[in-house]
Amino acid sequence: MTVWLIVLAIIVLMLFGAPLFTIIGALALYLFTSAEIDQSAVIIELYRIADSPPLIAIPLFTFAGYMLAESRAPQRLVRLAQALFGWLPGGLAIVVLLTCAFFTAFTGASGVTIVALGGLLYPMLVKESYPERFSLGLVTGSGSIGLLFPPSLPIIIYGMVAEVSIDQLFVAGILPGLILVGVIGVYSIRVGARAKVPRTPLTVSNVWASVKGAVWEIPLPVIVVGGIYGGIVTATEAAAVTAFYVFVVEVFVHRDVSLRKDVPRVMKESMLLVGAILAILGVALGLTNYLIDEQVPQQLFEYVQTQITSPLTFLLILNGFLIIVGMMMDIFSATIVVVPLILPIARAFNIDPIHLGIIFLTNLEIGYLTPPVGLNLFLSSLRFQKPVLQIARSVLVFIGLQVIALLLITYIPEISLWLVGVMGTR
Amino acid sequence: MKILKAVDGAFTRVEGWLVILLLSVMILLAFGQVVLRNVFNSGLIWGEVALRHMVLWIGFLGAALAASGERHISIDALTRYLPRKAKASVKVVTHLFAAIVCFLLFRASLTFIGFEIADRHTVYGEVPAWYAQVIIPAGFLLLAFHFAVRLVLSIEVLVKKGGEQ
Repeated sequence: MTVWLIVLAIIVLMLFGAPLFTIIGALALYLFTSAEIDQSAVIIELYRIADSPPLIAIPLFTFAGYMLAESRAPQRLVRLAQALFGWLPGGLAIVVLLTCAFFTAFTGASGVTIVALGGLLYPMLVKESYPERFSLGLVTGSGSIGLLFPPSLPIIIYGMVAEVSIDQLFVAGILPGLILVGVIGVYSIRVGARAKVPRTPLTVSNVWASVKGAVWEIPLPVIVVGGIYGGIVTATEAAAVTAFYVFVVEVFVHRDVSLRKDVPRVMKESMLLVGAILAILGVALGLTNYLIDEQVPQQLFEYVQTQITSPLTFLLILNGFLIIVGMMMDIFSATIVVVPLILPIARAFNIDPIHLGIIFLTNLEIGYLTPPVGLNLFLSSLRFQKPVLQIARSVLVFIGLQVIALLLITYIPEISLWLVGVMGTR
Repeated sequence: MKILKAVDGAFTRVEGWLVILLLSVMILLAFGQVVLRNVFNSGLIWGEVALRHMVLWIGFLGAALAASGERHISIDALTRYLPRKAKASVKVVTHLFAAIVCFLLFRASLTFIGFEIADRHTVYGEVPAWYAQVIIPAGFLLLAFHFAVRLVLSIEVLVKKGGEQ
C-alpha cells in the first residue's frame, strides 16, 4: 500500500516537472532502503561514470557540436549542399535534410539543430516557394534525422547502457540512417517538382567556390567516420581530435568564434547539457542495478513470454511502446531507463542488441515529433513563432514517412547488421 | 534575500570557471594522448584515469550549472501553460523535492567516501581515490543548495502581494 503511494507521489512529481534525475534518484534511494541495502550503493553505481572510457567522448563531441552551431559553419555547409544538390527538383529540401542530418549527428539531437539551422533554412524554403506547411514540417522533422549517424551522442549512451561496442553501433546506424534520409528525400523531390521550385544550375565555379568556403568543415565527417571505421582511432579518440580540430578551425582559422567572448560561454552552455545528461545517467545506474538485482527484467520477460510468442509481435509492440516513451521522455533519459529493461527480453527473442539499438533510437526519433508532447514540436513552435498545433499538423506526413522507414529497419535486421558483418568489425 | 542571491551567483560563477578550466585541460589532454599514441606510439599512463574522472567532475559541475539555470531535463508538457502564480506554487513543491533528494544523495556520498578512505582505495599509484571522488558529495551539496535557493525564490514570487506580471 505505502509502496504504491510513494510511487504515485513520485510519478505526480515527475509530471509536474521535477528534474528527472531527482525522480530517478529518489526511486533508487527508496528502493535500496526498502531492500535494507545502504543508500551508498546508489553512489557506488554512480561512480561507474568515472569507469567508462566511452563516456569521455560525450563532453568532447558535445563541445564540438556547440562550437559548430555557434560559428558560421551552418551557412557554409548549406551553401555547399546547395551548390551540389540545388539543381535537383526539391534540391533545397535535400539540402535541408543533409545539413540537418550532419548537425544532429554532431550535436546529439538536443534540439540544437532546429535552433541553429531552422532560422536559416526555413526562410530559404519559403522564399523558394515551397509550401509553408511542407517547409515547417521538413525543418521540424529533420531536427532529429541524423540521430543514427556517427558521432551521435544517443548512440554512445545506448552502447554504454547496453554494453555493446560503440564502434559497431556507429557502423550499424549508417544504412538505416540513409533509408530515413532517402524516404524523406524522395518525398521532398516530389513536392519540389510539383511546386515548380526554381532550380539552381550545377556549375563548376559555384561548386568550387562553396567547396573552398567549407574546406575546413569538409574533413569533419572524414575524421569521425573514416577514423573510426578505418580502425585508426576509437570513438573516444575521434572525439578528442574533433573537439581540438573544431576549436582551432572556428577560433583561429575562420575566427567566427571569439576566444575571449564566445568560447567560455559555449563551453559552459555545452557542459550544462552534459551535466544534465550525466546526472540522469548517474542515478539511473543505481536504479538499474537494483532492478537487475531484483530480477525485474527477468520477471518482466516471463510475463511478456506468456503474452507474446513470436519475435514479430514483440517487435511490433515494442515499436508502439517506444514511440509513447519517446513522446514522454527525452532520448537520453529514455535510453538510460528503458534499455536495461527491454534488453534481456529482446535477447530472448533472438534480437541482436545492435539491431535493437537502431530500432530503439529510430523509434525515439519519431517520438520527438509525435503530438502532443514531442519535444521538437515545442522547440520548433518557439523558433518559428507558430502555434504548436500548426507545427504538429505539418509534421504528420513526415511521421508517416519515418514510420515506413522504421518498419523496414525493424523487420529487416540486415539493414542494420549487414554492414557490420561486411566491415568485419564483429 | 539579496545575500542569498549573491552567494548563489558567486557559486554559479565559480562552477562556470571550473567547467571552462576542466574542459580546456580535457581537450588538450585527450588530443595529446591521440598524438602520443599514433605518432610516438606512447602515452601517459595516468592520462585515461584523469580523463575519466574529469568527465565525472565536469558532469557534476555542469549539473550544478543546470540547476542554477533551472535547465535540468524534466517533463514540462503539463506545467508549460500554467499562469505565473500557479507555476510558482508547483515549483515550490518540485524544488523542495529536488533539494531533499540531492541532500539525501549528498549524505549517501559521504558514507561512500568514508568507506573509500577507510579501505585506502587508490585511484592511480599512491593517489587516494577520495581525492578524485570528493566531487560527488560536493556536487550533490551544490545541487541541493541551488535547488534550495530556487525554492526560496519561488516562495518569494508567491508571497509578494498582487504579483507583478
